[in-house]
Amino acid sequence: MVETFTPAVCGSRRRQRLALVGFAVGALVASAFVGAALGLLGSVLGARLTLAAAGLALLAAAREGGVLRFPIPQARRQVPERWRTELPLPLWSAGYGAGLGAGLFTFQPVSTFWVACAAAVALGKPLTAALCFSAYGTGRTLMTVLPRRGSDPTRAVEAIVGRRRLLLRANVVALLVCAGLLIAAPVASGAVTTLGPGLDPAVDATTLARAQRDSGGTSVLIEPSGESAVVIPDASLPALDGDLLAYTDSVGIKVIDWRTGASLAQVDGPVSKPALEWPRLAFIRTDATYKRLIVADFTDPAAPTERQIALSAVEDDLGRPSLSSGRIAWHKATIRASNVFVERLDTGVRTLIARSRIALEANPSLTSTRIVWVEERARSASLRTRLFGRRRVRTIYTTTGRTRLLWTTALAGRSAYVTRWSQLTGDSTLVRVNF
Amino acid sequence: MRRPDRFFDGAARSLSQRLATGMTRRSFLGRMGGAVLAVTGGAAVAAGVRPEESEAFHFCGHIWTTGSCPNPLGLPRIDRHGYPLRAGDGKRIDNLGRVVNSLGYPISASGERLIGPDGKPLPRGPRTRLCEEWVRERFGHNARQQGSWYRCCNDQIRKLVDCCSPSRRRINGDASLTGYCWNGNRVFCVMYYETGLKC
Repeated sequence: MVETFTPAVCGSRRRQRLALVGFAVGALVASAFVGAALGLLGSVLGARLTLAAAGLALLAAAREGGVLRFPIPQARRQVPERWRTELPLPLWSAGYGAGLGAGLFTFQPVSTFWVACAAAVALGKPLTAALCFSAYGTGRTLMTVLPRRGSDPTRAVEAIVGRRRLLLRANVVALLVCAGLLIAAPVASGAVTTLGPGLDPAVDATTLARAQRDSGGTSVLIEPSGESAVVIPDASLPALDGDLLAYTDSVGIKVIDWRTGASLAQVDGPVSKPALEWPRLAFIRTDATYKRLIVADFTDPAAPTERQIALSAVEDDLGRPSLSSGRIAWHKATIRASNVFVERLDTGVRTLIARSRIALEANPSLTSTRIVWVEERARSASLRTRLFGRRRVRTIYTTTGRTRLLWTTALAGRSAYVTRWSQLTGDSTLVRVNF
Repeated sequence: MRRPDRFFDGAARSLSQRLATGMTRRSFLGRMGGAVLAVTGGAAVAAGVRPEESEAFHFCGHIWTTGSCPNPLGLPRIDRHGYPLRAGDGKRIDNLGRVVNSLGYPISASGERLIGPDGKPLPRGPRTRLCEEWVRERFGHNARQQGSWYRCCNDQIRKLVDCCSPSRRRINGDASLTGYCWNGNRVFCVMYYETGLKC
């Protein structure tokens, strides 16, 4: 194919250059498109794909190192020669470039291309994957461009073939490095998606709720998957439990069926930051001296019972609680330290999840199996997660600078939601991190 | 003609000898500082440095090599109790680097409380001592302020403070020295306090 791009075949040196440009454009566009498509697929799938990609890289390294032998997917095809006679030069040269630049329709001497595909899916970022894959297209282009004037165009190919053993060894090393990076990149394992303006996310299965602020005040936006959004005016700090929503308004906290608007419960007074796992409602009650984390049980709606879980001085911060599967999580931040706690409501057994005298550990959310929270430092903020019963803590998302701070969180399965906000403007955005 | 490197080595050696003589309370640091300069051959830097002026290795007054204690914003300026201050103007900062008022609430340049994304004033966060709390949490060993020395910096007396711990490795990662620490402790990292007294 390289011999195609010569003055003799193209018709003149000018046509040769035109053909090379066409090839380059085709190769770059096609490779970038494949990268973008794979990145997009990854952002939709999300979750845990970096480990799979790392495994594939190790498998590929074993194959290329001669330890394992197995076939790899490839189309043992060459570019259609008849295109040169049937199509105009710009079209066939671009078509050749696209066919080879895509990588999917041609011979694969090594398995590295497929590892790159898996890594692009794991990355879950279409633009970044497109940029990375365009390097593949660039490489393809260079093989046609590099042969110098007057020299045999196949000489470059033969030079590479002559160094095949060295290249194969380098390829093995590259695959091992790639596997190592994929294993060691917990942040990269999360596909991060921006979900638009808002704050204080709440999530339940397929429904996401958020607070929105504008000049008219604050409202709660509920977005069930595949259905029309519902807006609750004059509301903030949403908490979801299926069709039930708890929110704070000027009077106190209300619990309603957000589909029908029916009211289920109300707690008036200086209360805020609800968490909901019906018939349990958790909230913070503030008086002149203390902030109290209360869990109210509405099993008998006419006579709800309250239990105090935690207490702090009014100057300190008792954070937005989270309720799930009989556990409650919250943070307490004082001028001396910050702590994230989880307590089992049936036994009262309390576990310290995170504590720091340096960082601000805050805003936990939990499910039946794990917890996420925000760790804020002077120069960065991170989303951290841990499984219950395990001590290992992972960082799944990190931001830096004062314009990208992290605030409240929500958690559903292996998708964490966090408010990201700017201290300079006060604007906030919801971000979803799949991990 | 002497090789340039030998020329600088000689200059550094003669400087180290000058530093080693005529020292009083500064003798320990002066000798050790000169020895370091001789070894590194940093004559070009040393020639412009006099102990009285105390140009620092990484901040004014610090003519030794121990690194700064961990701190929010990059320079380990503290108040008299060891809590962090902003280096440029001495304002109280919390552990997140935010300027705070006397109650610990983060404030803006105009003194008003900073507002969060929900439109409400931000709650206060931790503000703890760089030596006793930060070092303990980051590096896992008990640390406390012990020895100190004084230098003239920016026309006022600066107190340089050793954060001392039992660790035999200092924050730089290499072997620690006794410095001005006592009771078996060694210098782990350094901080400084501006007295405000004219010099």
